[in-house]
Amino acid sequence: MRLKTMGLRNKIFFSIVGVILFISAAIALLARGILIKSLTEELTQRGVAIAQSLAEQARGPILDKNVPELVALVFDAAELGDRKHLIDYIFITDDHGEMLAHTFIRPYPEDLTRANLLEATRMRAISETTVFDRPVYDIAVPVTEGIYRIGSVHVGFNKGHIDQLVAKLRITFLGFISLIVVIIFLITLKLTSYITRPLRRLTRLADEISRGNFDLPMEMKALSGGYQLQECPAYRNTDMPCWHFDQARGENTPSRTVPENQPQCRECRFYRRPEQGDEMDQLADSFYNMLWSIKLYRRRLGESEEKYRSMFDSGPDPIFVVGTNTMAILDANPRAAEVYGFDNRDQLIGVSFLELDPDFNEEFFTRYEEAVSEFPTYSYSKLVHYTRDKSPFFVNLNACPISYMGRQAVIIAATDVTETMEKEAQLIQASKMKTLGEMSAGVAHEINQPLNAIKIGSDYLNMMTKSGKEIPAQSMLKVTDEMGVQVERATEIINTLRAFGRKADLTQERCNINKSIQDVLTLAGHQLKHADLRMELDLDEGLPPILAHDNRLQQVLFNLVTNAGDAISQRQDTPPGGHVITIRTFARDGQVVVQIADTGVGIPEKARGKVFEPFYTTKETGQGMGLGLSITYGIVKDYGGDIRIISDENQGTTFILTFPAIKEDR
Amino acid sequence: VAVLVFLAAALVLAPACDREPDDRNASSAPPGVSENEILIGSSLALTGHAKYLGIQTLRGLRAYINYINDMGGVFGRKVRLIAYDDAYHPPRCLANTQRFLVQDQVFALSCYVGTPTTVKVLPLIRQAGIPLVGMFTGANALREPFMPNLVNVRASYYQETRSAVRHLVESLGLSRIAVFYQYDAYGFDGLTGTELALRQLGLTPVARGSYIRGTTDIQEGLDRIMASRAEAVVMIGTYEPCAGFIRQAREQGFDPVFYAVSFVGAEELARRVADQEGARVLMSQVVPPPHAFLGSGAFSVVDEYDVLLDHYFPGDTPNSVGLEGFINAKVLVEGLRRAGRNLTRESFLEGIDSIASYPLGRDLELSFGPADHQGLENVYFTRLSGRTFTLIRDFKGLGPEDLRNTGSASP
Repeated sequence: MRLKTMGLRNKIFFSIVGVILFISAAIALLARGILIKSLTEELTQRGVAIAQSLAEQARGPILDKNVPELVALVFDAAELGDRKHLIDYIFITDDHGEMLAHTFIRPYPEDLTRANLLEATRMRAISETTVFDRPVYDIAVPVTEGIYRIGSVHVGFNKGHIDQLVAKLRITFLGFISLIVVIIFLITLKLTSYITRPLRRLTRLADEISRGNFDLPMEMKALSGGYQLQECPAYRNTDMPCWHFDQARGENTPSRTVPENQPQCRECRFYRRPEQGDEMDQLADSFYNMLWSIKLYRRRLGESEEKYRSMFDSGPDPIFVVGTNTMAILDANPRAAEVYGFDNRDQLIGVSFLELDPDFNEEFFTRYEEAVSEFPTYSYSKLVHYTRDKSPFFVNLNACPISYMGRQAVIIAATDVTETMEKEAQLIQASKMKTLGEMSAGVAHEINQPLNAIKIGSDYLNMMTKSGKEIPAQSMLKVTDEMGVQVERATEIINTLRAFGRKADLTQERCNINKSIQDVLTLAGHQLKHADLRMELDLDEGLPPILAHDNRLQQVLFNLVTNAGDAISQRQDTPPGGHVITIRTFARDGQVVVQIADTGVGIPEKARGKVFEPFYTTKETGQGMGLGLSITYGIVKDYGGDIRIISDENQGTTFILTFPAIKEDR
Repeated sequence: VAVLVFLAAALVLAPACDREPDDRNASSAPPGVSENEILIGSSLALTGHAKYLGIQTLRGLRAYINYINDMGGVFGRKVRLIAYDDAYHPPRCLANTQRFLVQDQVFALSCYVGTPTTVKVLPLIRQAGIPLVGMFTGANALREPFMPNLVNVRASYYQETRSAVRHLVESLGLSRIAVFYQYDAYGFDGLTGTELALRQLGLTPVARGSYIRGTTDIQEGLDRIMASRAEAVVMIGTYEPCAGFIRQAREQGFDPVFYAVSFVGAEELARRVADQEGARVLMSQVVPPPHAFLGSGAFSVVDEYDVLLDHYFPGDTPNSVGLEGFINAKVLVEGLRRAGRNLTRESFLEGIDSIASYPLGRDLELSFGPADHQGLENVYFTRLSGRTFTLIRDFKGLGPEDLRNTGSASP
């Protein structure tokens, strides 16, 4: 536990010192053993050499029984040079082990001659014994005459002296080891502080940075070579990538290759290649690079943030950040306040987004749930939003989920499309007026018929009155009834016409598409009546209503029916069953489907994708603007519907319109 | 850090534990001393070519020891003397000394004769710490370096040769001086002393000749010295070769002044060259020459020696060799006395050290000190005169020719 809290410096220091001490102790012990062993061995070897040399010299005196000579011999051998410290005694015995000569100067132990018996065959014997309480190595070698032994020489090596030598050696050795330990101690001290000083410095620096102090301290300034930050082109110009950092980072993103015309620094004055110096220097370099990178990208991030902030603040469209669970507005740009009639942004914050868009919640979350794993941007068009004082307007919404201040949120960008929609409506209206013009002949014919009937009736009444004939009451009733019916019929036509021509409201209404079909046929029926064209209606009576504008639906239907008529008239031949326009309605899967099929020329395959494009037309110049189907498409899409074409050339065309049915359980 | 220092200290100090116990001199009860006996050992030449020296020294020693024993000993302890013959042979001397130490366990040693023998046993004596009192040798090795348990009585060869060289050069006016020496420690010692003395006078030996100890083959040395036409020959040897040298030199017509150091043995040399008419033989002595002082009343110790020798060894003639043994005995006994009843080797040596101005006669006294273990400094000169050596009281007015042996003893 203490180890954990210990500084790196102490860890290194103590572990090195510990290891050194351990090794030193191990070496000391080992060396001690080796020293003692080898020294003892060496000295006993020397003892053997002395004894052997003595044995050579003693042969003659032993044979002569010249004891004084032997005494002189052993004394000379024992006193020679520094031997007197090493040699405790020397004695020579005869072959019976009887003492012949020795170097003792006082009575020697009786059993000494038997302490280290030399076996008959051995050429030497070494044993440890004690003489006068002193430990001694007794080294015995034989004195031989020929192959027979005539005596033996014993050299007593002073073990104490050997031990003293060992001790001296050991002290020298240990002194040396201690010196090494001290030196290593000092080196370690130096080394650890050398290692940890930059670490501590970097730690201090990192602390400073985490506190937000990005100013390079003096020492780091020295590292930067005295360059000012402003000298870096990438620092001055955030559009310019820093190739040294970005390139290294972008190796796995090939799109980040250097454009040819992009200026680049041949050599970065700030980036330090951590190649030179030891690991500490490299760490400092890396750290410097990191710091530089942080500084650079912090600045870039700051600028980017500023950029997007200004885009957010000064953007032309309202942008909201809405929390998903509370639906409260967390942030909004000034434009939002402006568009939604708030005095300033702060008033908006905290307001429920549902106040602005009551329908948003359901719609959004339905789709949000569905699409959460897919591309996380959702678009909604032509939603009705309300300003602060509840006046509605139309917007297109773009929503994308984000994490905002730790909460699930959506960024909602609302584009005010009211004006666009009005423009669209005007275009539709204009188109409608054109249609109305096209209809006018038919309408006139339709109106003419009741007018004619009324004329006949009024002529009859006029003639009867002028002739003074009594008009029978039955006839009178019949004529006036008929006239009433005809007026009614004319009025109906006119009303239908008026309804068609009326500019549609912005808000949608419940419409029964069957009725729209009937109305269109009322107005346009005459145009389609020629000899070999039949209208076949197959309308589902139980059709659910849809949310749309009736007159726009009529416009769509009229367009399609007149197109069908045109297509039939363009066809040269006549199919076996005669030409027919079939209109079917039915409900399927919560959708209302309208099929308008003709037996006309059909649409060529290459043109099929283009028919809904504006200003595309197959008609001769002057016959049409090519806006009809384009507007039709726009209207159907507005109602969330779809329009498809099934066409075989010279077999006819079927337009299939689908609209979402209003859910009746609502 | 403290731990480290401690460890280092422990490592360094650890081996200090096993120190060699030194118990060589630990024996408390001194060997060779009992209630009524003190054992003294002496190894000297009782046979062989130097036996005269050993026999006479031993007689001088015994004369006094016997006398002391007869007087009741020292503090009731009789002095028992054990003498072994070494025949002037160093190994035998060594073996004898070891025997004294190991078997006989004597208290002290005394009256060793000869330089090579005594020098041979020096390490043994140093090691055993046994006192050795009075050696019949003037070897410098026994004086330097100082050994506390070695007690010299007589003057050194250096002193003898220095005096002799001075007299030869300054009194007799000789400058061509050769050295004839025994090729061993004794001879080298005398040679060195002579060379040192000559160097002080700005001279060097004109020739050096030597012989092997125990032999009488002196011809080679003689030839070398004769070739140098030396005026004087310093002889450092034993009486037999030295006598041979004088005799052969004169036979071959070489007639320098012969000078012999004390160790040669005056009486024996005189006996051997007495027939050399006209030979000029000088000899130095480190004890008063007995014949010169005997009966004069001047030296009590000479008279004492004379009386006791006559008492214990009737028929023997007093001589300087014996006198030296006698004086050694006196020093030994005086040391024992001064050591007191509680005799140890240490107290004995302290007793010797305390001897100061101990009178041996008129103008002759012994003095020792803790750092001075040579009792006498005197050097006497004698010249062969007839069959004896007579004392030269004064070199003044003496010429080289005056030294010739006229065959009759001059006073």
